[in-house]
Amino acid sequence: MKTIVDLRSDLDNKVVTSEQLFEKANKLAHKYQDEFNPFVTIIDEKIEEESDSILSGIPYAIKDNFSTKGILSTASSNILKDYVPVYDATAYKKLKEAGCVLVGKTVLDELAMGGTGTTGHTGIVRNPWNKNHQIGGSSAGSAAAVALGIVPFSLGSDTGDSIRKPAAFGGVVGFKPTYGRISRYGLFAFASSLDHVGCFTRCVRDAAIVTDILKGKDERDMTSLPDEEVKYADMIDNDIKGKKLFYIKELTDLDLYKDAGEETLDVLRKFKGTIEKCKNIGFEVEEISFDEKLLKAIYPAYMTISCAEATSNNSNLTGIPFGPRGEGNNINEIMFDARTKGFSELIKRRFILGSYILQRENQERLFKNAGRLRRIIVDKMNELYKKYDAMILPASGGIAPTFDGEIDRMSPRYLMLENHMAIGNFGGFPSITIPNGFVSDMPIGINITGRCFEDGLTLNIANKIEEVLGFRGIVKEEYDV
Amino acid sequence: MVTKEKLKDYAAKLMFDMDDEGYDRTLEEFETVEKHMALIGEIENIENIEPMTFPYVIYHADLREDVACDCLTNDEVLANAKETKANQVKVPKVVGE
Amino acid sequence: MYKVVIGLEVHCEVKTNSKNFSSSRNTYSEYPNENIDTVDIGLPGILPVANKDAFRKSLMMSLALHCKTPDIVMFDRKNYYYPDLPKGYQITQETKPVGRDGYVMINVDGIDKKILINNIHLEEDTASLDHFGTYSLIDYNRSGVPLLETVTEPCLSSAEEAVTFLETLKGIFLYTGVSEARTDRGQMRCDVNVSLMEDTATEFGTKVEMKNINSFNNVKLAIEYEIKRQTEILKSGGKVVQETRRFDDEDLKTYSMRSKVDAVDYKYYIEPNIPPIKISDSLIEEIKSEIPMLQYERVQKYMGEYGLSRYDSDIIVKDKKVSDYFEETIKLGVDPKSSANWLTSIILGHLNKYEIGIDDLYLTPKMLCELIKMVDAGKISSKQSKQVFFKCIEEEKEPSVIVSELGMTQITDDKTIRDIVVKVLDEHPDLIEDHRKGKNTFDYFVGQVMKQTRGQANPTLTKDIILEEMEKR
Repeated sequence: MKTIVDLRSDLDNKVVTSEQLFEKANKLAHKYQDEFNPFVTIIDEKIEEESDSILSGIPYAIKDNFSTKGILSTASSNILKDYVPVYDATAYKKLKEAGCVLVGKTVLDELAMGGTGTTGHTGIVRNPWNKNHQIGGSSAGSAAAVALGIVPFSLGSDTGDSIRKPAAFGGVVGFKPTYGRISRYGLFAFASSLDHVGCFTRCVRDAAIVTDILKGKDERDMTSLPDEEVKYADMIDNDIKGKKLFYIKELTDLDLYKDAGEETLDVLRKFKGTIEKCKNIGFEVEEISFDEKLLKAIYPAYMTISCAEATSNNSNLTGIPFGPRGEGNNINEIMFDARTKGFSELIKRRFILGSYILQRENQERLFKNAGRLRRIIVDKMNELYKKYDAMILPASGGIAPTFDGEIDRMSPRYLMLENHMAIGNFGGFPSITIPNGFVSDMPIGINITGRCFEDGLTLNIANKIEEVLGFRGIVKEEYDV
Repeated sequence: MVTKEKLKDYAAKLMFDMDDEGYDRTLEEFETVEKHMALIGEIENIENIEPMTFPYVIYHADLREDVACDCLTNDEVLANAKETKANQVKVPKVVGE
Repeated sequence: MYKVVIGLEVHCEVKTNSKNFSSSRNTYSEYPNENIDTVDIGLPGILPVANKDAFRKSLMMSLALHCKTPDIVMFDRKNYYYPDLPKGYQITQETKPVGRDGYVMINVDGIDKKILINNIHLEEDTASLDHFGTYSLIDYNRSGVPLLETVTEPCLSSAEEAVTFLETLKGIFLYTGVSEARTDRGQMRCDVNVSLMEDTATEFGTKVEMKNINSFNNVKLAIEYEIKRQTEILKSGGKVVQETRRFDDEDLKTYSMRSKVDAVDYKYYIEPNIPPIKISDSLIEEIKSEIPMLQYERVQKYMGEYGLSRYDSDIIVKDKKVSDYFEETIKLGVDPKSSANWLTSIILGHLNKYEIGIDDLYLTPKMLCELIKMVDAGKISSKQSKQVFFKCIEEEKEPSVIVSELGMTQITDDKTIRDIVVKVLDEHPDLIEDHRKGKNTFDYFVGQVMKQTRGQANPTLTKDIILEEMEKR
């Protein structure tokens, strides 16, 4: 499957034109839409700004929770089903200015609050490797668009693992850099202190290239980091001899998974195999122990913080200055009606939970305790990063789930393994998922989470591992056109 | 003790309502979250830890220089409002305060 | 008798070029929805970016109110639904406000009182709603305008004290340039808490809150009404209900809005989009050095050092520019009392008459100094000096020029005056006789001398010489 680097060379050598690339992408988007539903909106007119950037003429897709001026932006929610923004998100603007060509806006879990790709207002997104499986979420459509070979890269957002999980399930690369590396201006907020902008690509090098274009200080985002003089794409081939990795015993020790299913065991075996390969190419890898009580608490703490922040962040959705107008005799009734009709039940339940968490009498016990747990975990990680350069773990405890709710039989340990990637959001660490082969003919991934601000090193480590694993640019045969 | 009635009240304060079964499901979720969060509460010395809001703090934030600029046009401001009048957003009569 | 306990929460818009969290203009506009950024209407995806000047000014106000400033400032969200609040939350400061535990000195009827400030915090204003018959219109121009809220301890004990505090606070806003504090434009608004307690009681009574009162006079009327209402309740053995009431500025009464039971839980939490802001000692020192001496201190100085009356001092400090003008003349060597006299009896009257500011006045402190010195040196009479003043500002010429143009130099030469006096006395021996008989003809002689010198004779000298010459006869 062609990467951005390949396409660049094809464009530069006049093997192909950007018109042809767009046409092909547009055709594929339409072709797969009914079957997999990656898009809320498919763009049929090619718009390309003049640029000499490495991404000029390259088609891409963007999650529908980015503000795109003049283009419908729904966040896959009925409450924004007609919303056409009057301004551009910074990340989108940068891609536009770099000459990238937009192919479509992709489906997400409603308001990015979910991990299944099944709750968007325009229907479920299916996994290109097997239609009976989810692709995961919330950046479901963006993962699918790359996995289907429609576009070489796409943009997503990641609050718990919303890029990295669907990347693993879709057999593509998913990267979210350090918190603040890419401006969040124009990304519809889910949980501001955990939200990250990131990308899906077919290889680590492409992730570095795309991030190089997106990163930088934005006057519109106070949490954005100062500009750096480096290019990550120039760093990913650095020698990694002697770089130190660690993985967590409590999550990966096969002896602890006596009751686990064969798929989970296979995921763990493949992970251990990869560890050996890492050692072979010069990494020092060590197993460390992480308090299980803390690991178990990651998911509830994540839920607590994210639901609380989401309740507040989505209070602007009242149908008054924008959004569908509710019915009623007075202003309160129309706000009430707009919100009652605009949100699905799942979202409402999360909001109720979030507001309960923030209530004066519950804040200490719920919201603040979650914040305290967050600090304990981040402190512990930063302590580990004094010795190690990155953490390496399986991206999930199994393959992409099917649509018939197998979630119920998840053991506590499986849940730990399934939800640890929120650590990357707690501490804002750069974190990347790359393909790690197949289990039951479905792709699985490994996750590499590095030190804050060291995006280049994290990508460097991932690139070296990708090299040795040999799953670069994998795509299901029928989509490799 | 959280009850269904209380949940309805919380929902009303968030300006929405849902089906009865929705509240039942919410109630179940509350129990799970409370149970999980109770575990966090049991972590030793947790009360002495400062809750974390920002992933890291490096005091890099520059405040914005106080320079005004033309931002949105009136058309843009009202572009997504369903009802307007006299260059303003029109809504049914505001009640309460 | 009941003791009255009043606490105030005063909202005041900060004077800046742009809004608190966006770059749209912060200006009073006649046209709706003109000064708006994506942030001000709470569009999906927006992020607040804090205004440096609003932040600096709020620190300045905090220091002017003798507050303790924190090392780190943070912002918080106050969550509630109302159509004038497009984001569904207001960015304010709850955890780490710009100031805590300050005080303001006020003077009520000559008695000094220290009013304690609980905290001062920076937040943002809401949109404005206009109500019509069946509908309302929303103008977002005001949405996001920086707002400083000053919260007092419940330590005021009368309507008069409350109003004096508000006037003093307004003075501080104006002196520091933090706000224009115009109540007529809604730039300064006030929430008032009133409770009554038995004289001997040690615990506060039940408080009633009145929201959003927009003039000082209405604050006074609302407090007076509440005191009366609560007194009647307590006297008849009833209990005051803890509630929020609305003051109606037409019938001058307060009406119940909502009780404590319905009190809103604002679910405050730290605003995650604004990283903590560190405040250095050097910044605090820099801002401190920019705070001018304030009204209260100036009055103390004028009374103590310059011997002015409180009445005159109060008049002079009312407008900082007038007070600065006054101090400038003193620096130039003018006697404070005569400078104050000029200001209060002539200049301010003139400014009021033409509704102009002292900086519009052609006469600079230096010119006033020149004018006063000519009088002191006997070059012109005090009566002439007033004439010169008006000519000066009318023709926009310096006092010395006017004096020489009008030939207004005073005659102070003994012989010249004596010659005229002798001539006048010679012409009226009968009147000298009358004078001896006890009839007052002295003023007539003075008038004659003035007439013959076209008013240029030095009056004191003239009087002395007339007396001397009459004695001789």
